[in-house]
Amino acid sequence: MTGRDRETPARSSAAREQSTDDRAAADHPGTATRTGEMEIWGKRVRCHPGIIVEKTLPFASILFILIITLVGRPAAAAALAVVFIAVVFINYRIWSRTTIQFDDTGVVVERDTIFKRKKTIPYSKVASVNINRGITNRLLGTSSLLININSGSGATVPEAVLTFEQDLAESIRSAILHRLYTHSEDQDDGDEPVEMPALFSPLDVILHGLFNVSTYQTLFGLFFLVYSVFQFYVSAGTDGGSTGAVVSFLIFAAMLVAPIVSQIFYYYNYRVYRRGDTIYLQHGLIRSYRTSFDVSRINAVRVKSTLAARLMHRSCIEAEVVGLASGKGQSLRPVLCLLKDDATQQTLLRELVPEFVYDRKPKKQPEGAARVLLIEAGAASLALALVMIYPSIYLYRRAMTATGIAGLTMPYILPVITISLILAIFYAVYVSYRITDLDLGDNLFSFVNGAVDRETVTMNYDRVQMVVTAKGPIARLFDVARSNIYLLSSIGGSSITSGYFHESDLNAIGEIVMERIASGDYDYRKNSL
Amino acid sequence: MVLFTGQRGTGDAAPDPSSGAPGTGGYRRLNRRCMISIYINYGIWYAILLAICTFLATFSQNLSDPYYEIARLALLGVPAAVLVYVVVAPPVFYTRYRYRITDDRVEVRRGVLVIRHTLVPIERVHQVEITRGPIKNLLGLADVAITTAGGVATINYLELEEAERVAELLNKLIGEMLRERLQAPASSVTGSADE
Repeated sequence: MTGRDRETPARSSAAREQSTDDRAAADHPGTATRTGEMEIWGKRVRCHPGIIVEKTLPFASILFILIITLVGRPAAAAALAVVFIAVVFINYRIWSRTTIQFDDTGVVVERDTIFKRKKTIPYSKVASVNINRGITNRLLGTSSLLININSGSGATVPEAVLTFEQDLAESIRSAILHRLYTHSEDQDDGDEPVEMPALFSPLDVILHGLFNVSTYQTLFGLFFLVYSVFQFYVSAGTDGGSTGAVVSFLIFAAMLVAPIVSQIFYYYNYRVYRRGDTIYLQHGLIRSYRTSFDVSRINAVRVKSTLAARLMHRSCIEAEVVGLASGKGQSLRPVLCLLKDDATQQTLLRELVPEFVYDRKPKKQPEGAARVLLIEAGAASLALALVMIYPSIYLYRRAMTATGIAGLTMPYILPVITISLILAIFYAVYVSYRITDLDLGDNLFSFVNGAVDRETVTMNYDRVQMVVTAKGPIARLFDVARSNIYLLSSIGGSSITSGYFHESDLNAIGEIVMERIASGDYDYRKNSL
Repeated sequence: MVLFTGQRGTGDAAPDPSSGAPGTGGYRRLNRRCMISIYINYGIWYAILLAICTFLATFSQNLSDPYYEIARLALLGVPAAVLVYVVVAPPVFYTRYRYRITDDRVEVRRGVLVIRHTLVPIERVHQVEITRGPIKNLLGLADVAITTAGGVATINYLELEEAERVAELLNKLIGEMLRERLQAPASSVTGSADE
């Protein structure tokens, strides 16, 4: 019922009676992989042996660091070396006893180690087949083939990750896509000249990396940077005391620098285009990623802009796509447009996903929502003030003895920060009330949310799996509620939340879904798993 | 059309699958035994909370005066507030809990502080599962988990027999829907198919 094929507990008798040729192919994977996709079709093969290195390397690096720290203790280092050999052996055994068979109806991945399992992935249930190439893949000339199915909720990892030589992986992907999308194989050839709806320069990638990090994350990161600089300044000329500065700087690096650099590397050489009903996407500097998916797999489209991006009149587009897990988290919501000027973003939206463009007639939140938001802001402000009282008094007493600028500013810095934050909370509430809206179209509906980082989420009624409307004690007083919309396999069962509206307005979403099912407007063949 | 609306409020009478209680809009209530189950469940969690508070109280004696005062207040206030909730919440939960199953949807209304209304179209149901923990097992209760491709909805604290009838009904409805689809000519469905 779920569309996810269950693993069978043991190898079937039919599999045991495989042909001699198949056994030979499995025993000599190098031969099979060199001779190309047609040679392996229908035969049982193994992954490229490079997968052993790929799986061992992360563990090896941890062990290497541990062994270095145990230089003076050879017995412990030897024990770790034994552990390392055991890991290599286990990965070798898993590789040697795992076979893959691409047949006419699906992919069969069979493992016969301590745990026997046989996983059958029918092509009819495959949602996407993607290529991932990390550093290890590049060194070994391989590619990882990520096969995703139309899985149920909670699907954050691919159904199968198979490593083959690069050319073979490409040809297998192409062959499976041919079965999925019924377009010719050469249409998926990345080398063929393609007219791009928009070009993304390295500057666009850098700007996306810099300004697509959430504003709150940026502010926290900058706070730790400022604190770090302050600590360095205070501890200058003293023998110690810079540990706090180093820790703060490391937090800043982890919270802000690392995500920015990671995004820049991840989206380097970004290309996106659409052919027929298929959207193609590729990017990546160190780890290259290629994917394609049918437009019918998109549940919702988000137009997003952080505060900084809005000041530059830039926004980006993300899609929620069924069955596009990469196991890396980032590509669960593929980006259809990096941060670009709003006009280009709108053009791309119309060219890539016109199915999610409609004439919006939004409804603003009712007055009751403003009161609820104000009470929530008041409660948050009170909590913040209570939390800050003691540290403020403590810092005031300590800093009163300081001289110079520190003596003048430090005693009052926490109260000033607290008051600023409270003002910011109330301003955010005002903006949130002003911009949040709800629009119920004929085929699509949308929410606009976010006081600081804004997003417009356009959803398809036919992808709604569940509607949960919630009314807290304060919301009940003012006759408003919020809804959580659970879409078809959107990231791990997460939901999309509306603003505060009258319950009847929110209930209309579920009623429209029901009406579409009853009237036949809903096409189950397009939307079922 | 309301197909099945669970049991009557007291749980003493045999469940009538054909109708809900008058004036309830077809919604049905839980058996009173659900409160015992919730109290036992809350009791276990409250005992764990008290153990943690006792541990923290012992630890916080080493703190300096102002921190100790704050910790002492928190360690008294939090269990007291939770105790009020533990005592009051189960009857409120029982009173507010409503569910109904019609030929096209499952609806559940529930909540103590926050009242939630869950709507699941039958068309979206992928799997129906009856689950029972040890406490519910002792009391003859069970939950029905309704899995969709975007999340799971549950009808909690049903009597076991009723849970089985609810699951059976849902499976029947899904089965009928699938049979209708298999029999329907391809042309009757709008748009192109991808599966």
